[in-house]
Amino acid sequence: MIKLNKLTKVYRTDEIESTALNEVSFEINQGEFVSIMGPSGCGKSTLLNILGMLDKPENGSYKFLGNEVGHLNEKGRSDVRKKNIGFIFQNFNLIDELTVFENVELPLLYNKVPASERKQRVNELIEKIGIGHRANHFPQQLSGGQQQRVAVARALITKPPLILADEPTGNLDSSHGNEVMELMCELHEAGTTIVMVTHSSHDASYSGRIINLLDGQIVSEKRNKLSSAAV
Amino acid sequence: MFKNYIKVAFRTLNKNRVYATINILGLALGLTVTILVFLFIKDETSYEKHWDGYERIYRTGIKADMMGQKMNAPVSCSPMANAFRTEFTDVETATRVQTINQEILMRHEQNKVYIQKGARVDSTFFKVFDYEFIHGNADAALKETNAIVLTEESARKLFGDKNALGEIVNYDNRQDYVVRGVVKDPKGHAHFQFDMFLADHQYQNIWMNNGWYTYVKLKEDASFDAFKAEMTRNFMKKIEPDVERFLKITAEEFFAQGNAFEYQLQPLKDIHLHSKMDFEIKQNGDIIYIYVFIGIALLVILIAGINFMNLSTARSGKRAKEVGVRKVSGASRKMLITQFLTESVIQSFIALFLAFILVELFLPGFNNIMETNITLFNDYLGKTVLFALLVTLVYGLFAGSYPAFFLSAFQPISVLKGDLTKTKGGALLRKALVIIQFTASTILIIGMIIIFKQISFLHNKDIGFKGDQVIVVPLQTDPMTENFRNYKDIFLKNSNVLSVTRASYYPGDNPNQSMFALEGREEQLPLWNMEVDYDFFKTLDIELLEGRKFEIEKESDSIPYFILNETAVKNLNIENAVGRRLGRYTGNDGSLQYGNIIGIVKDFHIEGFNQPIRPMILTIEKNVWFASFKIAKNDMNATIDYIETEWNKLEPTHPFRYTFLDQKFGALLRQQENFGTMFLFLTILAIIISAMGLYGLASYTAEQRTKEIGIRKVLGASVSQIMNMLTKDFIKLVLVANIFAWPITYLLAKNWLSNFSYQIDMPLLPYVFATLLALIIALITVSFQAYQSANSDPVDALKYE
Repeated sequence: MIKLNKLTKVYRTDEIESTALNEVSFEINQGEFVSIMGPSGCGKSTLLNILGMLDKPENGSYKFLGNEVGHLNEKGRSDVRKKNIGFIFQNFNLIDELTVFENVELPLLYNKVPASERKQRVNELIEKIGIGHRANHFPQQLSGGQQQRVAVARALITKPPLILADEPTGNLDSSHGNEVMELMCELHEAGTTIVMVTHSSHDASYSGRIINLLDGQIVSEKRNKLSSAAV
Repeated sequence: MFKNYIKVAFRTLNKNRVYATINILGLALGLTVTILVFLFIKDETSYEKHWDGYERIYRTGIKADMMGQKMNAPVSCSPMANAFRTEFTDVETATRVQTINQEILMRHEQNKVYIQKGARVDSTFFKVFDYEFIHGNADAALKETNAIVLTEESARKLFGDKNALGEIVNYDNRQDYVVRGVVKDPKGHAHFQFDMFLADHQYQNIWMNNGWYTYVKLKEDASFDAFKAEMTRNFMKKIEPDVERFLKITAEEFFAQGNAFEYQLQPLKDIHLHSKMDFEIKQNGDIIYIYVFIGIALLVILIAGINFMNLSTARSGKRAKEVGVRKVSGASRKMLITQFLTESVIQSFIALFLAFILVELFLPGFNNIMETNITLFNDYLGKTVLFALLVTLVYGLFAGSYPAFFLSAFQPISVLKGDLTKTKGGALLRKALVIIQFTASTILIIGMIIIFKQISFLHNKDIGFKGDQVIVVPLQTDPMTENFRNYKDIFLKNSNVLSVTRASYYPGDNPNQSMFALEGREEQLPLWNMEVDYDFFKTLDIELLEGRKFEIEKESDSIPYFILNETAVKNLNIENAVGRRLGRYTGNDGSLQYGNIIGIVKDFHIEGFNQPIRPMILTIEKNVWFASFKIAKNDMNATIDYIETEWNKLEPTHPFRYTFLDQKFGALLRQQENFGTMFLFLTILAIIISAMGLYGLASYTAEQRTKEIGIRKVLGASVSQIMNMLTKDFIKLVLVANIFAWPITYLLAKNWLSNFSYQIDMPLLPYVFATLLALIIALITVSFQAYQSANSDPVDALKYE
C-alpha cells in the first residue's frame, strides 16, 4: 500500500538547514498496524505528515497504492487524501462550533455524500463507538476520551483504507487511552491499515510492527508476535 | 454542504459576539447611510421626470455682460413664448409664466384664504406641463381672460367639498376670476410649485424687459442644435430695435463696446440640480451635495469594510485550526473560500436587515434636516431593495474575500501543529487598512469643522443690516398703500414700535433690476433698484456713508431722489457721486427722468452669499407694498399684538400676516446649514464605526499578547508601561493617517469653499484639532482595552496557553 524509497525532508530557515528525514525507505502492506516511535524531534511527525500527504517530501519516492504521490500538487494530494486517509490527532482537532454528529459528518460532506446516507452512516458509527448519546453535544462538553472517540469516528466515517494517528492517546489518561487503543485494534481487525506515531511503548505494543526513528533515519524495526498482545 | 456553512457561520457569530457586533453594526450603519444617500439621490434626480415629454422641455434664459454688469438668469421677455409658438417649426408649444411673489388673499363668498404661490400663465401652460385635471381640461381651462385654475388643495380651502368648476373667486379684492379647472398636484417634484394659475392674456412687445419665465417644448423629431441656432438667429434680430431704442446705440456698437448678450436654453430636467442663477423661482438643489453624500457613503462603507477585514484576519489564528481540520477532512481550497464568503455574506445580510430598520427610524430626522419628504416605501422600493442587496452582496464578497483567501491558504500541517507563525503580511495589511480608515475619519472630521466654520462665518458676516427686531407685513390694498404714510403715527404711538417704513422688497427676496443712465453719458446701466419709504435705513439699521438719507421735508414726489450703495458707486465709476444727476428710464418710450444722487450707503446683502453684492439704487416712493416695523426687544409679543390690532382696524379685509426679517434672510442660508448638520451626523457615524473597529483590533492585539503581558508583569512592568506598549502602535497609525488626510482634505475643502462668494481663509486649526480628536478617540478606544489587559492577574495570562 505504501512504499517509500529514500525519502528525504529538509527544513530550512534563513540560516539553518535541518534534515528531518534522511533517505527513509520502507513498505507498509494493506492491513498492517504499524507504530512509529522515537524521541522528540526524530522526524516521526514529519514522516506521518508526508504519509498523510499534508506535507511534501524533498527527495525520494512515495508510492501510494502503486501511484507516485510525493510530488502531486495540493489539489491532487487533497483528492487522494479525502478518499483514502483518515487522520487522528493527539489534540483531537475537533471543530468547536460543530456538534459531535456534525464533526463526524464533515468528511462525508466534503465527499459529497447525500444527506440521508450521511445521517445513517454517522449515526451507525457513533453508536458503534459508544458516543451515540452525545451526538448533539459540542466538543467542549465531552471528556478527552470521548473527544478522541469522536475524532476516531470522524477519521473512520469515509471508511478509508488507511488511518494515520499522531499520538492518539497523548492527551488522555491511561484508562481513556486504553479505550482508544482498543478501538484502534478493532479497526485493524476489521481490515484497516493503521500507521500510528507514539511515544508510548504500551500503545506501540498493540501494533504488529514498530519502526524506530532517530535523527531522521530508521534505526530499527521490530515485529510483535501478537497484534493485540497487551492487556 | 451549504447548510453546514450557514450553520457554522451562525455559531461562529454567536461565539464571537463582540466581533460579530462590531462587524454587523458597523456594516448596518454603513448600509443605512448608503440607503439614505440612495433615497436622497433618487429623490433629487426625480425632478421634472413626471411631465410628459420632459426631455423635450427647455427653459430659456439670458446671459449678459452689459456695462460691467453680469447677469445670468432664467428669465425672458413677454413676447418670447408667442414667438416660439408662431415662428418655429421645431416647437410643439411654449408657455410663459410670471410668478406672483407674494401670498394672495382669495375670497369666495365669505370664505377668505391666503394662497401661497400663484402664477400668471399663458393658456398653453397645461400643454407644456401635463397636470392631471380633476375638473375641466388642459385645452380650454385658461382660454378666457378671467380664468383661474386651482390645485385640488386650494380648491378645497376655498370651496370645501363643493365642485369649484364655474364658481367665482375674488383675487385680492381686485378682480373676480372664474374657476375653469381643478388640477391634482404633480406626481413628482418640480422646480416650481404653484397653488393657483391665473390666465394671462396681456402682452408687452419689449424684448429687453425680462420679467417672465418661458418654457418651450420641442417636437419629438426636433433637433436641439438646429433649434438653438435658429432661436439665436431669430431672437438676436428681435432684440436689435430695443437695443437702439433704450441704449441709443446700434447692436453692432453694443457688441463692439465689449458687451455680451445671449439667449440660453436649459433642459428642464437639469434645473433642480444644476441651475444656480439669479432669479430662480425657488432655491434649487445642488449637485455638489449629491457628490459629497456619495463620497461620505463610500467612506463609511469603506470604514466598515476595513473593520470586517481587519477583525477577520486578526482572528485568523483562532480559525486556523478549523481550516486545518477541514482541509484534512477533504475540504478543497475552493470549498473553504466558499465557506468564508458565505459567512461574510450572511453577516452582511443580517446587517442589511438591520439597516432597513435603521433607515426607517432615521428617515423622519433626515427629512427634517434636509427638508425632503422621502419615504422608504415608495414607488421605487423595489429598486431600493435591489440596490441595497447588490451593495450588500458586493460588500460581503469584497470584505470577505481577503479573509477567505488568506485563511484558506493555510497549510493544514502547520496550523494543526499549532506553530502558525503570526503572518507578517497580515499584520502589515491590517496596519495599512487602519491607516486608510483613520485617513477617512480624519477627512470627515476636518471637513465637518471647515463646513461649520464657513457656515458660522456666513452667519456672523456683516450683512449690512439688522433684522432680528424687524417684522415685515405685506400691504394688501391700494387705499392702505396710498395712505400708509398717514398711518405711521398710529403705530408709533406705542413706544415699543421704534420705527416704521416700507420697501418694494427686503433682504431674502428676489431683487429687481432696471436701467439707469448718468447725466451726460449716453449708455444706460442696469442697477438693482429698490423703492423705499422714509426711515428705511433707520428701520434696517443701514449705515449712511455720505450725503443724507431720504427726508420728508426735503423731497417732492415729482422728482426722483437716489441713494446708491458702495458697489453701485464703484460700478458707475464716478467720483463725488453725491450731487450728480442720474436718469431713470420711465416708460415704453425710453425717456429718462432725472434726479439727484443724495447719498451713499454701506453695502447690504439682499441675496444669499453665493451671490456678490449688487450695485443698488434706492429711490423714495409713496406706493410700496411691504411695510416693516422695528420693535423693541422687550415685550415683542405684546408689541406685535398692538400692531396687529391697529392694523386690522385699518385694513379689516386682509388678516394681518408678518414675518421676521432675519428669518426671511436666514432662509437663504438654510440649505447650507442643513447640509452642515447632515454632514455632522454622518461624520459622527463614521467615527463611531472607526472607533468600533479600532476597539476590536485593540482587544484582539491584547488577547494575542496576553502571555507576553503576563511575562512582562511578572518581570516587573507597571500597568502604565503595559498600556503604553499596547497603545503606542495604534497612535503611530493614526498619526500616519493624518499625514494622508491633511492634503486630501485641503484640496476637497478648497473646492467646496470656491462655491461661495465669501469664504473663510483656509484655517490650520481644524487640521490640528482633527488630528488631536482622532488621537483622543484612538487613545480612549485602545486604552480601555489595554487597561483591562494590563490590570489582569499575570497568573491568568500565563495559564492562557
